[in-house]
Amino acid sequence: MAALCRVRHRWKRTNCIQLLTRNLTGTFDYDLVVIGGGSGGLACSKEAAQLGQKVAVLDYVEPSVKGTKWGIGGTCVNVGCIPKKLMHQAALLGTALKDAQKYGWQIPGPISHDWSTMAEAVQNHVRSLNWGHRVQLQDKEVKYLNVKGSLLDEHTVKGSTRTGKEIMLTAKNIVIATGGRPKYPTHIPGAVEHGITSDDIFWLKESPGKTLVVGASYVALECAGFLTGIGLETTVMVRSIPLRGFDQQMAGLVTDYMEAYGTKFSWRSVPKSVDKLSSGVLQVTWTDEQTGKDQRDTFDSVLWAVGRAPETKTLGLEKVGVKLNKESGKILVAADESTSVPNIYAFGDIGEGRPELTPTAIKAGKLLARRLAGQTNELMNYDNVATTVFTPLEYGCVGLSEEEAESRHGKDSIEVYHAFYKPLEFTVAERDASQCYIKVVCKRGGDQRILGLHFTGPNAGEVTQGFAMGFQCGATLTHLKETVGIHPTCAEELTKVNVSKRSGLDATVTGC
Amino acid sequence: MGGHRRVEREKEERQSHTEVIRRKNLSPMAHRLLVRRIWTLSVKDLRCLPASTSSFSTSLRSSTTPLSLLSPKRTLPRSLPHTSRREVSFNVQDHEDFTERVINSELPVLIDFHAQWCGPCKILGPRLEKAVAKQKGKVAMAKVDIDDHTDLAIEYGVSAVPTVIAMRGGDVIDQFVGIKDDEALDSFVSKLVGQ
Repeated sequence: MAALCRVRHRWKRTNCIQLLTRNLTGTFDYDLVVIGGGSGGLACSKEAAQLGQKVAVLDYVEPSVKGTKWGIGGTCVNVGCIPKKLMHQAALLGTALKDAQKYGWQIPGPISHDWSTMAEAVQNHVRSLNWGHRVQLQDKEVKYLNVKGSLLDEHTVKGSTRTGKEIMLTAKNIVIATGGRPKYPTHIPGAVEHGITSDDIFWLKESPGKTLVVGASYVALECAGFLTGIGLETTVMVRSIPLRGFDQQMAGLVTDYMEAYGTKFSWRSVPKSVDKLSSGVLQVTWTDEQTGKDQRDTFDSVLWAVGRAPETKTLGLEKVGVKLNKESGKILVAADESTSVPNIYAFGDIGEGRPELTPTAIKAGKLLARRLAGQTNELMNYDNVATTVFTPLEYGCVGLSEEEAESRHGKDSIEVYHAFYKPLEFTVAERDASQCYIKVVCKRGGDQRILGLHFTGPNAGEVTQGFAMGFQCGATLTHLKETVGIHPTCAEELTKVNVSKRSGLDATVTGC
Repeated sequence: MGGHRRVEREKEERQSHTEVIRRKNLSPMAHRLLVRRIWTLSVKDLRCLPASTSSFSTSLRSSTTPLSLLSPKRTLPRSLPHTSRREVSFNVQDHEDFTERVINSELPVLIDFHAQWCGPCKILGPRLEKAVAKQKGKVAMAKVDIDDHTDLAIEYGVSAVPTVIAMRGGDVIDQFVGIKDDEALDSFVSKLVGQ
């Protein structure tokens, strides 16, 4: 009898607290509505729900021009990082098969690749991730709505279903994490009708065949890289420089390797038009900017990788007063991800000046959720973020490029240490390692604080991750030299770096 | 018998779509669409159902004019016995189909929640078919692809696949997750049938 009374009293108390919370949040349907169910949106909504907030996440995928659409999870899961890395792995395995013969493996016939088998396996994995996200949202009690969200006012979100039905939600706080989509060069005749983008390539049921990849961003180079690796004739069309924003010496090494690996490059070329011939192939005409002459060739597919545009057009931002950067179209955000409207926040690819990376979006989302729930004041640290380009020869880096370090500190105030090395695995396989290279950009004098670290070679992502932690801790060249390498690895070469560019000495690593 | 059965079935169908509406909390517009769908089987649905299903033929008997306009074009038998040659194993088409053929099934039903990307599902699937076939029409099996019917799967609390739910009279009476061997499956199915 006494126990029962206690239980009833506790129930009454908890109920009172719940009522109080609801009153504090006014008459809003939700404490938080997140528009966008990608890397950032999902992390933010799940964290907020875990902290006791009533959260809804709105995710909607407008089909691509070619009609490709996908489930929850955003760009990374569906048309970015995940399928990209899996296809990159497929290509690497092709190379490994060739190397295997040198290592004694008896491979009976010629090796060929079947696109459909790879695509189905990759697509199935992505679907399992879509499902996993749905289950997680359910478990964490986040309301999921497959609707296209737009703002009506600073506390009201309108959601439109695919069939045109509309729902209204009110929220104390609104977070925009709608990310971006690939751009089409609409001024080029035939570009939209006949070309595809990264939104489509991973969902093709049949091989894209002979492909022209237009662009020189990491999207372009990574796609061209794995297409070449699985045996498809691939050409990259570059207008000016590869990997804009990255260290240009390293970018050059990446493209040199790709050229040696079999990818064709059309430098200083600008596409003029794309026509579909009666046979079904695409004829591309482009201008060679060096000669001024027009060139022409046929391809089975044309992949546009000429930049990404933020998904802001249908959000109703102007009406509500959320300010955008006029040039990029991205949302202007402060260090705490707030926008020009007090209770509206934005982060991830949609934020102006933010890195377009999944880990930063996830971390920023979690911190934002914690701040909104009043749990912390910690802001997201966007500095020292390591990244890797998964081209056939991978490139990992953290910190400043050599050019950026020079521009910030002056050429005389920095010391650049470098080394060309050969991965042990390449020796027996008789593979060319001319582009396997390490560069450590340091502040000159004293312990020589590391300003930037660059590595091209196999498993660059795995190698760079560990060093990124050192970088975050303010590592110096002295720290690096005091670290004993693990042998035999490629990563140990970073601990052995000692030839400076300034000395002019040969940077090739010899022997053991 | 025919008239009484028809009234009964009409009442059941009304109850079933009321239950769907209640569960779905539909707006008036969606309610009208749903009513239209249940009472007028679309041509696509007709194509999906094999010729010998009696669940189709019972709906034929109980539905209103639009369906009888369609039936002359069909070569399907009009007077099949009520419970014989019922489709034993089928793929769930949509939420309405689930209500009609699973929740309102006169037979106990095994619901096999599976996915294209799930390896173990491909092992369990044929085993389930075998166990169900052994029961010679005493139990039906509804297959639900969770990528096509994510909301339905979430509604039934599915998190990992394969998940098999045993349902009788619209109530979940048992379930399991993962693979079972033939013996364990036979025992699970027998329990559902009530042997």
